[in-house]
Amino acid sequence: MLKIDNLVTRFGSVVAIDGISMQAQESKITTVIGANGAGKSTLLRTISGLEHPSSGSITWKGQSIVGMRPENIVRLGIAHVPEGHAVISELSVEENISMGSLFRRRKFKSDITPAIDEMYALFPRLKERRKQLAGTLSGGERQMLAISRALVSRPQLLLLDEPSLGLAPLVVEQIIDSVNTLCRSTGLSVLLVEQNANTALGVADHGVLLALGKVVADRPASELKADAKLRAAYLGY
Amino acid sequence: MNTFLAALSLGTSRGAIFALVALGLVIVWRGAGIVNFAQMGQAMFSTYIASTLIANGYSYWVAFLAALLSGAALGALLDIFIMRPLSNKKQSELLSSESMRAAVPVIASLGILGALQALAGIIWAAEERGFPAPAKEEGFTVAGNVLPFTSFDVFVVSIVTLTLIVTTLFFTKTGIGLAMRATALNQEVAKLSGIRTNRTRTISWAISGAASSLAGLLITPTSNLSPNTLDLVLIVGFTAAVVGGLDSPVGAVLGGFILGMVISFVTFYDTPEDVFLAILAVLLAVLIIRPRGILGSKDARRV
Repeated sequence: MLKIDNLVTRFGSVVAIDGISMQAQESKITTVIGANGAGKSTLLRTISGLEHPSSGSITWKGQSIVGMRPENIVRLGIAHVPEGHAVISELSVEENISMGSLFRRRKFKSDITPAIDEMYALFPRLKERRKQLAGTLSGGERQMLAISRALVSRPQLLLLDEPSLGLAPLVVEQIIDSVNTLCRSTGLSVLLVEQNANTALGVADHGVLLALGKVVADRPASELKADAKLRAAYLGY
Repeated sequence: MNTFLAALSLGTSRGAIFALVALGLVIVWRGAGIVNFAQMGQAMFSTYIASTLIANGYSYWVAFLAALLSGAALGALLDIFIMRPLSNKKQSELLSSESMRAAVPVIASLGILGALQALAGIIWAAEERGFPAPAKEEGFTVAGNVLPFTSFDVFVVSIVTLTLIVTTLFFTKTGIGLAMRATALNQEVAKLSGIRTNRTRTISWAISGAASSLAGLLITPTSNLSPNTLDLVLIVGFTAAVVGGLDSPVGAVLGGFILGMVISFVTFYDTPEDVFLAILAVLLAVLIIRPRGILGSKDARRV
């Protein structure tokens, strides 16, 4: 579905991604794990068009998306939830969600309200707080809001960057569960970036381990989880 | 008592115009995250266009409409050809730091102001000319006294009220209004949400351009038109926007009326020479007591 081939992304002279090739499979959760600075976030940011690669290709359903703007990539069905509970604090919960559906207003007019209602059903706490400013939400609620903002565009592929960052284990579990359920029930494909490898490998079908911008392992998640040597070498436990 | 009424009515009519200027500033701030000092240059330019049309025999309302449209067009052009390339960080090493990225467009807007004033001087010569009002400029008579409040002032106040209502509804109730706010607040999240941020910013500039042209059309009948006439209005309008809170349309209008009153009462009860002192005192007081402005939200002020 999403195919990445020999991708290189630089920031000035720093090479953040150094020739990555990998895939995200349809209706599966693929997780990208690795230590801080492995290039995980840059990989997602390059896919969604926020960063431009210096070489390599990204193919989505047979079409190259390299060089496209983020606002057009989301129209193709790839939604990105960047790191750090990316919501707009000065806007209300409701506004943050409907923001994600603005571009569908014309073509899918009758689907806007149902899509927003689905988000409230997925995360009922957001419905209770829909008139509040996003800045007043807890970290977990903000992450739910960021995910809703992305999902309301009805993507086929969700790029999820460190949803567990700074959240209590119980909240992380709840969010990961919701995403997992969504993937299994609607066929949504997920590319999940995590530093917390155990959580990610527990839910994913496939795992890609990155170190210093390169792929060191690309295997079924269960195999990756069982490989104690690899974990010790690259994740430190 | 008569002095009081006179001061009150002058304050209202002046306040309405400052409110409109402040409103224009708020629109660009909310839609593009920029304080646009070129705004009154744009207003002056489109008022000259209206003035030229009237001089060539067109009716006031044709000229009025032409000024609004040319104001919108000029705003859009300034964004597309100057502001957009400047904010494109790939093109400029200068913009690598956050503070520079905020400062560069503001400095550019000052440059645009100078350029527009010079260009207007070249095209229309620098001497002052009059500009007509669409309604009578004779004061209403109350209990045998002529007030400095005219039919034209009624027109001004109504237009400002209407603009405020439309702007507020536009920002809070429409999709494009939401897209504008999102773009100004967080470009990255806006883009990831599918908002075409470049186009959205251009729309903000166009709307603000039309609003400031409106301010230009409404103030010039009482001041006269020259390339520099609107500088003072911009200073007061900017102060009004800051006093009201840069991101709040209602605050901008409130700030406009507060300053209108302050200026008017100082003029009547003290001397006109103290007007600037009073404006600065109000600005200072608000910045010390409530830095975000009367109705501004917490994170609004970054510049």
